[in-house]
Amino acid sequence: MRPWRLPLQLRPGAGPGGVTVPRAGLKKLVIPPDYSGVTIPEKTKLKFMDKVPAVPKVKREPRQLRDIRGPSREATDFTQGQYGILALGGGYLHWGHFEMIRLTIGRSMNIKNMFAIWRVPAPYKPVTRKSLGHRMGGGKGPIDHYVTAVKTGRLVVEIGGRCEFEEVKPFLTQVAKKLPFPAVPISRDGLEQLRREEEEKKLNNQNPWTFERIVTANMLGMRRYLSPYDVKFQGRYWGKFFLKHRV
Amino acid sequence: MAALRSVAPWRGGWLPALQLVRHGSKAVTRHWKAMHFQRQKLMAVTEYLAPRPAVPPRCLGPRREAPQEDNGYAQLLRRQVEEAFRDNRMIAICQYNSMPDEDLVLMRHYLRKHNIEVKFVLNEIVRPVLSQSKYKNLLPLFVARNILLVSPEAKVREMLRVLKGVPQVNLLGACIDDTILSRQGVENFAKLPPLEAAQGQTVGALELLPSQTSSLLQRGSAHLTALLDQHIHRLQTGETGSTAEPSPAQSSGAH
Repeated sequence: MRPWRLPLQLRPGAGPGGVTVPRAGLKKLVIPPDYSGVTIPEKTKLKFMDKVPAVPKVKREPRQLRDIRGPSREATDFTQGQYGILALGGGYLHWGHFEMIRLTIGRSMNIKNMFAIWRVPAPYKPVTRKSLGHRMGGGKGPIDHYVTAVKTGRLVVEIGGRCEFEEVKPFLTQVAKKLPFPAVPISRDGLEQLRREEEEKKLNNQNPWTFERIVTANMLGMRRYLSPYDVKFQGRYWGKFFLKHRV
Repeated sequence: MAALRSVAPWRGGWLPALQLVRHGSKAVTRHWKAMHFQRQKLMAVTEYLAPRPAVPPRCLGPRREAPQEDNGYAQLLRRQVEEAFRDNRMIAICQYNSMPDEDLVLMRHYLRKHNIEVKFVLNEIVRPVLSQSKYKNLLPLFVARNILLVSPEAKVREMLRVLKGVPQVNLLGACIDDTILSRQGVENFAKLPPLEAAQGQTVGALELLPSQTSSLLQRGSAHLTALLDQHIHRLQTGETGSTAEPSPAQSSGAH
Protein backbone atom coordinates (compact mmCIF):
# COMPACT_ATOMS: atom_id res chain seq x y z
CA MET A 1 0.00 0.00 0.00
CA ARG A 2 1.49 3.32 -0.99
CA PRO A 3 1.59 5.74 1.92
CA TRP A 4 -0.99 8.44 1.35
CA ARG A 5 0.47 11.91 1.20
CA LEU A 6 -1.32 15.19 1.72
CA PRO A 7 -1.61 17.20 -1.50
CA LEU A 8 0.85 20.07 -1.84
CA GLN A 9 -0.16 23.48 -0.58
CA LEU A 10 -1.66 25.68 -3.28
CA ARG A 11 0.79 28.23 -4.60
CA PRO A 12 -0.61 31.51 -5.93
CA GLY A 13 -0.04 32.01 -9.67
CA ALA A 14 0.92 28.36 -10.13
CA GLY A 15 0.62 26.80 -13.56
CA PRO A 16 -0.22 23.16 -14.34
CA GLY A 17 1.63 20.87 -11.97
CA GLY A 18 1.91 23.62 -9.37
CA VAL A 19 5.12 25.00 -10.90
CA THR A 20 6.10 28.59 -10.07
CA VAL A 21 9.23 30.65 -10.60
CA PRO A 22 10.43 31.80 -7.18
CA ARG A 23 10.67 35.56 -6.92
CA ALA A 24 12.43 37.60 -4.30
CA GLY A 25 10.48 40.63 -3.15
CA LEU A 26 10.62 43.18 -0.39
CA LYS A 27 10.01 41.70 3.05
CA LYS A 28 6.93 43.34 4.52
CA LEU A 29 7.73 43.89 8.15
CA VAL A 30 4.53 43.75 10.17
CA ILE A 31 4.30 45.69 13.41
CA PRO A 32 3.48 43.25 16.25
CA PRO A 33 0.15 43.81 18.04
CA ASP A 34 0.02 46.07 21.06
CA TYR A 35 -1.04 44.35 24.27
CA SER A 36 -0.31 47.21 26.64
CA GLY A 37 -3.87 47.53 28.01
CA VAL A 38 -4.35 43.82 28.72
CA THR A 39 -4.34 42.69 32.38
CA ILE A 40 -4.09 38.99 33.07
CA PRO A 41 -5.73 37.82 36.34
CA GLU A 42 -3.83 35.73 38.87
CA LYS A 43 -5.56 32.42 38.29
CA THR A 44 -5.43 31.99 34.55
CA LYS A 45 -6.69 28.41 34.29
CA LEU A 46 -10.35 27.42 34.44
CA LYS A 47 -11.78 26.83 37.89
CA PHE A 48 -12.67 23.29 38.90
CA MET A 49 -16.44 22.75 38.73
CA ASP A 50 -18.13 20.46 41.24
CA LYS A 51 -20.08 17.48 40.10
CA VAL A 52 -22.72 18.12 42.74
CA PRO A 53 -23.50 21.55 44.19
CA ALA A 54 -22.37 22.25 47.76
CA VAL A 55 -25.96 21.95 48.96
CA PRO A 56 -27.36 18.99 47.04
CA LYS A 57 -31.04 19.22 46.14
CA VAL A 58 -33.44 17.11 48.09
CA LYS A 59 -36.61 17.71 46.11
CA ARG A 60 -36.64 16.23 42.64
CA GLU A 61 -37.38 18.88 40.00
CA PRO A 62 -39.58 18.59 36.92
CA ARG A 63 -37.83 18.32 33.63
CA GLN A 64 -38.52 21.90 32.37
CA LEU A 65 -37.04 21.52 28.92
CA ARG A 66 -37.87 25.14 28.26
CA ASP A 67 -34.46 26.02 29.70
CA ILE A 68 -32.99 24.60 26.45
CA ARG A 69 -35.49 26.11 24.04
CA GLY A 70 -35.04 29.43 22.29
CA PRO A 71 -32.33 32.11 22.40
CA SER A 72 -30.25 32.83 25.50
CA ARG A 73 -30.79 36.00 27.51
CA GLU A 74 -27.63 35.81 29.64
CA ALA A 75 -23.91 35.57 28.81
CA THR A 76 -24.45 36.58 25.20
CA ASP A 77 -21.65 39.17 25.10
CA PHE A 78 -17.98 39.18 25.99
CA THR A 79 -16.91 40.57 29.36
CA GLN A 80 -13.20 40.18 30.04
CA GLY A 81 -11.84 38.02 27.27
CA GLN A 82 -11.52 38.45 23.53
CA TYR A 83 -12.33 34.96 22.23
CA GLY A 84 -14.82 32.33 23.30
CA ILE A 85 -17.01 29.40 22.37
CA LEU A 86 -20.50 30.32 21.21
CA ALA A 87 -23.30 27.77 21.53
CA LEU A 88 -25.42 27.45 18.38
CA GLY A 89 -27.92 25.07 19.85
CA GLY A 90 -29.44 24.17 23.19
CA GLY A 91 -28.24 21.40 25.46
CA TYR A 92 -27.17 20.23 28.89
CA LEU A 93 -23.55 20.21 30.04
CA HIS A 94 -22.66 17.67 32.68
CA TRP A 95 -19.54 17.24 34.76
CA GLY A 96 -17.77 15.17 32.10
CA HIS A 97 -18.08 18.04 29.62
CA PHE A 98 -16.80 20.48 32.19
CA GLU A 99 -13.76 18.34 32.89
CA MET A 100 -13.07 17.92 29.20
CA ILE A 101 -13.23 21.66 28.62
CA ARG A 102 -11.13 22.47 31.67
CA LEU A 103 -8.41 19.96 30.92
CA THR A 104 -8.21 20.57 27.17
CA ILE A 105 -8.01 24.33 27.53
CA GLY A 106 -5.66 24.09 30.50
CA ARG A 107 -3.37 21.81 28.50
CA SER A 108 -3.36 23.82 25.28
CA MET A 109 -3.22 27.40 26.47
CA ASN A 110 -0.20 29.46 27.46
CA ILE A 111 -0.61 30.06 31.18
CA LYS A 112 1.61 33.13 31.24
CA ASN A 113 -0.04 35.04 28.43
CA MET A 114 -3.63 33.79 28.28
CA PHE A 115 -6.44 33.43 30.78
CA ALA A 116 -9.78 31.61 30.62
CA ILE A 117 -13.03 32.13 32.48
CA TRP A 118 -16.27 30.16 32.71
CA ARG A 119 -19.43 31.78 31.41
CA VAL A 120 -21.70 28.94 32.53
CA PRO A 121 -22.49 28.05 36.16
CA ALA A 122 -21.56 24.73 37.73
CA PRO A 123 -24.16 21.97 37.32
CA TYR A 124 -27.22 22.94 39.34
CA LYS A 125 -30.17 21.15 37.73
CA PRO A 126 -30.81 17.66 39.09
CA VAL A 127 -31.55 14.95 36.53
CA THR A 128 -33.26 11.78 37.71
CA ARG A 129 -32.76 8.32 36.29
CA LYS A 130 -34.65 5.18 37.02
CA SER A 131 -32.56 2.08 37.61
CA LEU A 132 -32.03 -0.12 34.59
CA GLY A 133 -34.40 -2.87 33.68
CA HIS A 134 -37.52 -1.73 35.52
CA ARG A 135 -40.92 -1.20 34.01
CA MET A 136 -42.66 2.10 33.86
CA GLY A 137 -44.28 3.32 37.01
CA GLY A 138 -43.27 3.31 40.67
CA GLY A 139 -42.72 7.03 40.94
CA LYS A 140 -39.96 9.31 39.86
CA GLY A 141 -36.44 7.98 39.99
CA PRO A 142 -33.77 9.30 42.33
CA ILE A 143 -31.38 12.09 41.36
CA ASP A 144 -28.62 10.68 39.21
CA HIS A 145 -26.49 13.68 38.31
CA TYR A 146 -26.57 17.43 37.85
CA VAL A 147 -26.39 19.42 34.61
CA THR A 148 -26.24 23.02 33.41
CA ALA A 149 -28.69 24.22 30.81
CA VAL A 150 -27.26 26.14 27.85
CA LYS A 151 -29.39 27.99 25.32
CA THR A 152 -28.47 29.12 21.81
CA GLY A 153 -26.30 32.22 21.66
CA ARG A 154 -24.65 31.75 25.02
CA LEU A 155 -20.91 31.84 25.57
CA VAL A 156 -19.52 28.80 27.34
CA VAL A 157 -15.93 29.90 28.04
CA GLU A 158 -13.99 33.07 27.38
CA ILE A 159 -10.30 33.30 26.61
CA GLY A 160 -8.29 36.50 26.76
CA GLY A 161 -4.79 37.84 27.19
CA ARG A 162 -1.80 38.43 24.97
CA CYS A 163 -2.82 36.15 22.14
CA GLU A 164 -4.36 36.16 18.67
CA PHE A 165 -7.44 34.35 17.44
CA GLU A 166 -5.38 32.03 15.24
CA GLU A 167 -3.42 30.80 18.26
CA VAL A 168 -6.56 30.08 20.24
CA LYS A 169 -8.75 28.70 17.46
CA PRO A 170 -7.32 25.16 17.19
CA PHE A 171 -8.00 24.05 20.73
CA LEU A 172 -11.29 25.95 20.92
CA THR A 173 -12.54 24.08 17.83
CA GLN A 174 -11.35 20.86 19.39
CA VAL A 175 -13.45 21.62 22.46
CA ALA A 176 -16.41 22.94 20.49
CA LYS A 177 -16.70 19.74 18.48
CA LYS A 178 -17.02 17.67 21.62
CA LEU A 179 -19.87 19.64 23.14
CA PRO A 180 -23.36 18.12 23.05
CA PHE A 181 -24.72 21.06 21.05
CA PRO A 182 -23.26 22.73 17.92
CA ALA A 183 -20.67 25.33 18.95
CA VAL A 184 -18.05 27.51 17.25
CA PRO A 185 -15.02 29.39 18.46
CA ILE A 186 -15.57 33.10 18.02
CA SER A 187 -13.89 36.44 18.66
CA ARG A 188 -15.39 39.82 19.50
CA ASP A 189 -15.16 40.91 15.89
CA GLY A 190 -16.63 37.62 14.71
CA LEU A 191 -19.63 38.04 16.97
CA GLU A 192 -20.21 41.58 15.76
CA GLN A 193 -19.94 40.39 12.20
CA LEU A 194 -22.46 37.60 12.82
CA ARG A 195 -24.98 40.04 14.24
CA ARG A 196 -24.39 42.49 11.43
CA GLU A 197 -24.87 39.81 8.80
CA GLU A 198 -28.08 38.73 10.46
CA GLU A 199 -29.40 42.28 10.31
CA GLU A 200 -28.34 42.65 6.70
CA LYS A 201 -30.04 39.41 5.76
CA LYS A 202 -33.22 40.61 7.38
CA LEU A 203 -33.06 43.84 5.43
CA ASN A 204 -32.11 42.54 2.00
CA ASN A 205 -34.36 39.49 1.97
CA GLN A 206 -36.05 39.37 -1.42
CA ASN A 207 -38.83 37.11 -0.25
CA PRO A 208 -41.91 39.23 0.53
CA TRP A 209 -43.32 36.43 2.65
CA THR A 210 -41.62 36.18 6.01
CA PHE A 211 -42.44 33.86 8.87
CA GLU A 212 -43.03 36.83 11.14
CA ARG A 213 -45.49 38.44 8.77
CA ILE A 214 -47.51 35.29 8.18
CA VAL A 215 -47.65 34.26 11.81
CA THR A 216 -48.46 37.63 13.37
CA ALA A 217 -51.29 38.10 10.89
CA ASN A 218 -52.33 34.43 11.20
CA MET A 219 -52.49 34.08 7.44
CA LEU A 220 -54.17 30.89 6.22
CA GLY A 221 -54.83 29.95 9.83
CA MET A 222 -51.21 29.01 10.39
CA ARG A 223 -51.48 29.53 14.15
CA ARG A 224 -53.39 26.22 14.23
CA TYR A 225 -50.18 24.36 13.43
CA LEU A 226 -47.79 26.54 15.38
CA SER A 227 -47.22 27.14 19.04
CA PRO A 228 -47.16 30.50 20.84
CA TYR A 229 -43.42 30.06 21.08
CA ASP A 230 -43.13 30.24 17.33
CA VAL A 231 -44.44 33.79 17.40
CA LYS A 232 -41.54 34.65 19.69
CA PHE A 233 -38.92 32.63 17.89
CA GLN A 234 -39.91 33.60 14.34
CA GLY A 235 -39.18 30.18 12.87
CA ARG A 236 -35.46 30.30 13.75
CA TYR A 237 -35.71 27.80 16.61
CA TRP A 238 -37.24 24.30 16.54
CA GLY A 239 -37.01 22.44 19.81
CA LYS A 240 -33.47 22.77 20.99
CA PHE A 241 -32.15 23.34 17.48
CA PHE A 242 -31.16 26.67 16.01
CA LEU A 243 -31.82 27.07 12.28
CA LYS A 244 -28.94 29.23 11.19
CA HIS A 245 -29.91 29.52 7.54
CA ARG A 246 -33.28 31.01 8.25
CA VAL A 247 -33.61 34.77 8.33
CA MET B 1 -80.08 18.94 40.28
CA ALA B 2 -76.65 20.37 40.09
CA ALA B 3 -76.37 23.05 37.49
CA LEU B 4 -74.80 22.06 34.29
CA ARG B 5 -71.15 22.75 34.53
CA SER B 6 -70.21 25.22 31.93
CA VAL B 7 -67.40 24.16 29.71
CA ALA B 8 -65.72 27.53 29.76
CA PRO B 9 -66.46 29.17 33.13
CA TRP B 10 -64.41 32.27 32.21
CA ARG B 11 -65.56 34.61 29.54
CA GLY B 12 -63.72 35.31 26.27
CA GLY B 13 -61.00 32.68 26.01
CA TRP B 14 -61.40 29.32 24.32
CA LEU B 15 -59.26 26.28 23.92
CA PRO B 16 -59.08 24.52 20.59
CA ALA B 17 -61.32 21.55 20.45
CA LEU B 18 -58.67 19.38 18.84
CA GLN B 19 -55.07 19.35 20.06
CA LEU B 20 -52.68 18.38 17.33
CA VAL B 21 -50.61 16.11 19.53
CA ARG B 22 -50.94 12.48 18.65
CA HIS B 23 -48.12 10.58 20.25
CA GLY B 24 -47.10 12.72 23.22
CA SER B 25 -43.59 13.67 22.11
CA LYS B 26 -42.69 16.90 23.88
CA ALA B 27 -41.82 20.19 22.18
CA VAL B 28 -38.08 19.90 22.94
CA THR B 29 -36.64 16.56 21.92
CA ARG B 30 -33.14 15.19 21.48
CA HIS B 31 -33.97 14.09 17.94
CA TRP B 32 -35.20 16.35 15.18
CA LYS B 33 -38.95 16.37 15.73
CA ALA B 34 -40.91 15.94 12.51
CA MET B 35 -42.79 19.10 11.58
CA HIS B 36 -46.43 19.17 10.59
CA PHE B 37 -46.75 19.31 6.85
CA GLN B 38 -48.37 22.72 6.93
CA ARG B 39 -45.50 23.98 8.98
CA GLN B 40 -43.06 22.46 6.52
CA LYS B 41 -44.81 24.29 3.73
CA LEU B 42 -44.67 27.51 5.70
CA MET B 43 -40.94 27.06 6.31
CA ALA B 44 -40.40 26.39 2.61
CA VAL B 45 -42.35 29.48 1.56
CA THR B 46 -40.62 31.79 4.01
CA GLU B 47 -37.05 30.87 3.16
CA TYR B 48 -34.40 33.54 2.67
CA LEU B 49 -33.89 34.74 -0.92
CA ALA B 50 -30.56 36.40 -1.51
CA PRO B 51 -30.53 39.59 -3.58
CA ARG B 52 -29.31 39.23 -7.16
CA PRO B 53 -27.17 42.15 -8.39
CA ALA B 54 -28.19 43.74 -11.69
CA VAL B 55 -24.82 42.88 -13.25
CA PRO B 56 -23.58 39.38 -12.35
CA PRO B 57 -20.16 39.63 -10.67
CA ARG B 58 -18.47 37.45 -13.30
CA CYS B 59 -19.30 40.04 -15.99
CA LEU B 60 -17.38 42.69 -14.09
CA GLY B 61 -13.64 42.59 -14.60
CA PRO B 62 -11.22 41.05 -12.09
CA ARG B 63 -11.23 43.10 -8.92
CA ARG B 64 -8.07 45.16 -8.60
CA GLU B 65 -6.61 44.88 -5.15
CA ALA B 66 -6.47 48.22 -3.40
CA PRO B 67 -2.88 49.60 -3.53
CA GLN B 68 -1.21 48.65 -0.27
CA GLU B 69 -0.20 51.48 1.99
CA ASP B 70 3.39 52.62 1.74
CA ASN B 71 5.89 50.80 3.84
CA GLY B 72 8.36 53.05 5.65
CA TYR B 73 11.09 50.67 4.65
CA ALA B 74 10.08 50.84 0.98
CA GLN B 75 10.14 54.64 1.17
CA LEU B 76 13.62 54.56 2.61
CA LEU B 77 14.88 52.27 -0.13
CA ARG B 78 13.34 54.48 -2.79
CA ARG B 79 15.03 57.53 -1.30
CA GLN B 80 18.35 55.70 -1.34
CA VAL B 81 17.93 54.81 -5.00
CA GLU B 82 17.09 58.40 -5.90
CA GLU B 83 20.18 59.61 -4.02
CA ALA B 84 22.36 57.08 -5.82
CA PHE B 85 21.15 58.30 -9.19
CA ARG B 86 21.62 61.91 -8.21
CA ASP B 87 25.02 61.83 -6.56
CA ASN B 88 26.96 59.47 -8.82
CA ARG B 89 28.32 60.19 -12.25
CA MET B 90 28.55 56.58 -13.36
CA ILE B 91 25.81 54.02 -12.75
CA ALA B 92 26.31 50.61 -14.35
CA ILE B 93 23.59 47.95 -14.31
CA CYS B 94 24.74 44.35 -14.30
CA GLN B 95 22.93 41.06 -14.27
CA TYR B 96 23.71 39.13 -11.10
CA ASN B 97 23.79 35.35 -11.01
CA SER B 98 24.36 33.72 -7.69
CA MET B 99 28.03 33.41 -6.91
CA PRO B 100 29.96 32.19 -3.89
CA ASP B 101 30.05 34.69 -1.05
CA GLU B 102 33.81 34.90 -0.88
CA ASP B 103 34.00 35.75 -4.60
CA LEU B 104 31.40 38.43 -4.09
CA VAL B 105 33.38 39.92 -1.24
CA LEU B 106 36.55 39.92 -3.34
CA MET B 107 34.80 41.61 -6.25
CA ARG B 108 33.40 44.27 -3.93
CA HIS B 109 36.87 44.83 -2.50
CA TYR B 110 38.48 45.33 -5.89
CA LEU B 111 35.76 47.68 -7.01
CA ARG B 112 35.95 49.59 -3.74
CA LYS B 113 39.62 50.26 -4.43
CA HIS B 114 38.54 52.21 -7.51
CA ASN B 115 35.83 53.94 -5.51
CA ILE B 116 33.02 51.94 -7.15
CA GLU B 117 30.23 50.83 -4.82
CA VAL B 118 28.09 47.74 -5.39
CA LYS B 119 24.39 48.13 -4.59
CA PHE B 120 21.78 45.38 -4.54
CA VAL B 121 18.43 46.76 -5.66
CA LEU B 122 14.92 45.35 -5.72
CA ASN B 123 13.06 45.76 -8.99
CA GLU B 124 9.78 46.52 -7.30
CA ILE B 125 11.39 49.58 -5.73
CA VAL B 126 13.53 50.79 -8.63
CA ARG B 127 10.92 50.52 -11.36
CA PRO B 128 8.46 53.10 -9.96
CA VAL B 129 11.34 55.45 -9.10
CA LEU B 130 12.79 55.32 -12.62
CA SER B 131 9.48 55.55 -14.42
CA GLN B 132 8.88 58.93 -12.82
CA SER B 133 12.40 60.29 -13.35
CA LYS B 134 14.26 61.09 -16.58
CA TYR B 135 15.84 57.61 -16.72
CA LYS B 136 12.77 55.99 -18.25
CA ASN B 137 14.80 54.22 -20.93
CA LEU B 138 16.66 52.22 -18.31
CA LEU B 139 13.43 50.44 -17.31
CA PRO B 140 13.83 47.43 -19.66
CA LEU B 141 17.10 46.56 -17.93
CA PHE B 142 15.49 46.09 -14.50
CA VAL B 143 13.84 42.77 -15.09
CA ALA B 144 15.68 39.92 -13.39
CA ARG B 145 18.11 39.89 -10.50
CA ASN B 146 20.57 42.76 -10.94
CA ILE B 147 23.06 44.97 -9.13
CA LEU B 148 24.13 48.57 -9.56
CA LEU B 149 27.77 49.66 -9.66
CA VAL B 150 27.84 53.33 -8.79
CA SER B 151 30.77 55.68 -8.65
CA PRO B 152 31.34 59.43 -8.55
CA GLU B 153 34.18 59.11 -11.10
CA ALA B 154 33.92 57.25 -14.40
CA LYS B 155 36.61 54.56 -14.12
CA VAL B 156 35.22 52.31 -16.77
CA ARG B 157 38.37 50.50 -17.78
CA GLU B 158 39.09 49.27 -14.25
CA MET B 159 35.47 48.25 -13.80
CA LEU B 160 35.47 46.25 -17.03
CA ARG B 161 38.70 44.58 -16.02
CA VAL B 162 37.22 43.44 -12.68
CA LEU B 163 33.97 42.30 -14.27
CA LYS B 164 35.86 40.30 -16.89
CA GLY B 165 37.28 38.20 -14.08
CA VAL B 166 33.81 37.55 -12.61
CA PRO B 167 31.73 35.40 -15.02
CA GLN B 168 28.57 35.55 -12.91
CA VAL B 169 28.11 39.31 -13.29
CA ASN B 170 27.30 40.53 -16.81
CA LEU B 171 27.20 44.21 -17.74
CA LEU B 172 23.86 45.17 -19.28
CA GLY B 173 24.17 48.91 -19.64
CA ALA B 174 25.32 52.08 -17.96
CA CYS B 175 24.37 55.68 -17.45
CA ILE B 176 27.52 57.83 -17.44
CA ASP B 177 27.10 61.59 -17.02
CA ASP B 178 23.39 61.34 -17.81
CA THR B 179 24.11 59.48 -21.04
CA ILE B 180 22.63 56.02 -21.44
CA LEU B 181 25.13 53.60 -22.98
CA SER B 182 24.74 50.00 -24.00
CA ARG B 183 27.37 47.37 -23.37
CA GLN B 184 29.12 48.18 -26.67
CA GLY B 185 28.97 51.87 -25.87
CA VAL B 186 30.62 51.27 -22.50
CA GLU B 187 33.43 49.34 -24.14
CA ASN B 188 33.97 52.14 -26.63
CA PHE B 189 33.91 54.65 -23.82
CA ALA B 190 36.62 52.64 -22.09
CA LYS B 191 38.81 52.74 -25.19
CA LEU B 192 38.64 56.55 -25.35
CA PRO B 193 41.80 58.42 -24.33
CA PRO B 194 41.71 60.42 -21.08
CA LEU B 195 40.12 63.87 -21.04
CA GLU B 196 43.31 65.97 -21.26
CA ALA B 197 44.61 64.02 -24.27
CA ALA B 198 41.24 64.32 -25.97
CA GLN B 199 41.21 68.04 -25.30
CA GLY B 200 44.71 68.38 -26.67
CA GLN B 201 43.73 66.46 -29.81
CA THR B 202 40.69 68.68 -30.36
CA VAL B 203 42.74 71.82 -29.93
CA GLY B 204 45.34 70.48 -32.31
CA ALA B 205 42.74 69.66 -34.94
CA LEU B 206 41.15 73.08 -34.58
CA GLU B 207 44.39 75.06 -34.88
CA LEU B 208 45.56 73.24 -38.05
CA LEU B 209 44.18 75.79 -40.54
CA PRO B 210 45.30 78.97 -38.74
CA SER B 211 48.77 77.44 -38.37
CA GLN B 212 48.87 76.80 -42.12
CA THR B 213 47.82 80.40 -42.78
CA SER B 214 50.50 81.77 -40.49
CA SER B 215 53.17 79.62 -42.13
CA LEU B 216 52.06 80.83 -45.57
CA LEU B 217 52.37 84.46 -44.49
CA GLN B 218 55.78 83.97 -42.98
CA ARG B 219 57.15 81.96 -45.91
CA GLY B 220 58.97 84.90 -47.59
CA SER B 221 60.79 86.21 -44.52
CA ALA B 222 61.58 82.68 -43.46
CA HIS B 223 63.14 81.94 -46.83
CA LEU B 224 65.22 85.15 -46.62
CA THR B 225 66.38 84.28 -43.13
CA ALA B 226 67.39 80.82 -44.28
CA LEU B 227 69.41 82.15 -47.22
CA LEU B 228 71.18 84.71 -45.03
CA ASP B 229 72.10 82.05 -42.59
CA GLN B 230 73.46 79.88 -45.35
CA HIS B 231 75.51 82.78 -46.66
CA ILE B 232 77.00 83.56 -43.27
CA HIS B 233 77.86 80.00 -42.94
CA ARG B 234 79.62 79.96 -46.34
CA LEU B 235 81.50 83.19 -45.52
CA GLN B 236 82.69 81.86 -42.32
CA THR B 237 83.87 78.68 -43.87
CA GLY B 238 85.11 80.01 -47.28
CA GLU B 239 86.64 83.58 -46.49
CA THR B 240 85.39 84.90 -49.90
CA GLY B 241 85.49 88.69 -50.64
CA SER B 242 82.77 91.19 -49.72
CA THR B 243 81.65 91.10 -53.44
CA ALA B 244 79.39 88.17 -52.64
CA GLU B 245 77.44 90.36 -50.09
CA PRO B 246 75.90 92.98 -52.42
CA SER B 247 74.89 90.33 -55.03
CA PRO B 248 72.52 88.50 -52.59
CA ALA B 249 71.25 91.97 -51.40
CA GLN B 250 70.43 92.89 -55.10
CA SER B 251 68.71 89.58 -55.68
CA SER B 252 66.63 90.10 -52.50
CA GLY B 253 65.71 93.66 -53.67
CA ALA B 254 64.58 92.21 -57.07
CA HIS B 255 62.21 89.85 -55.18
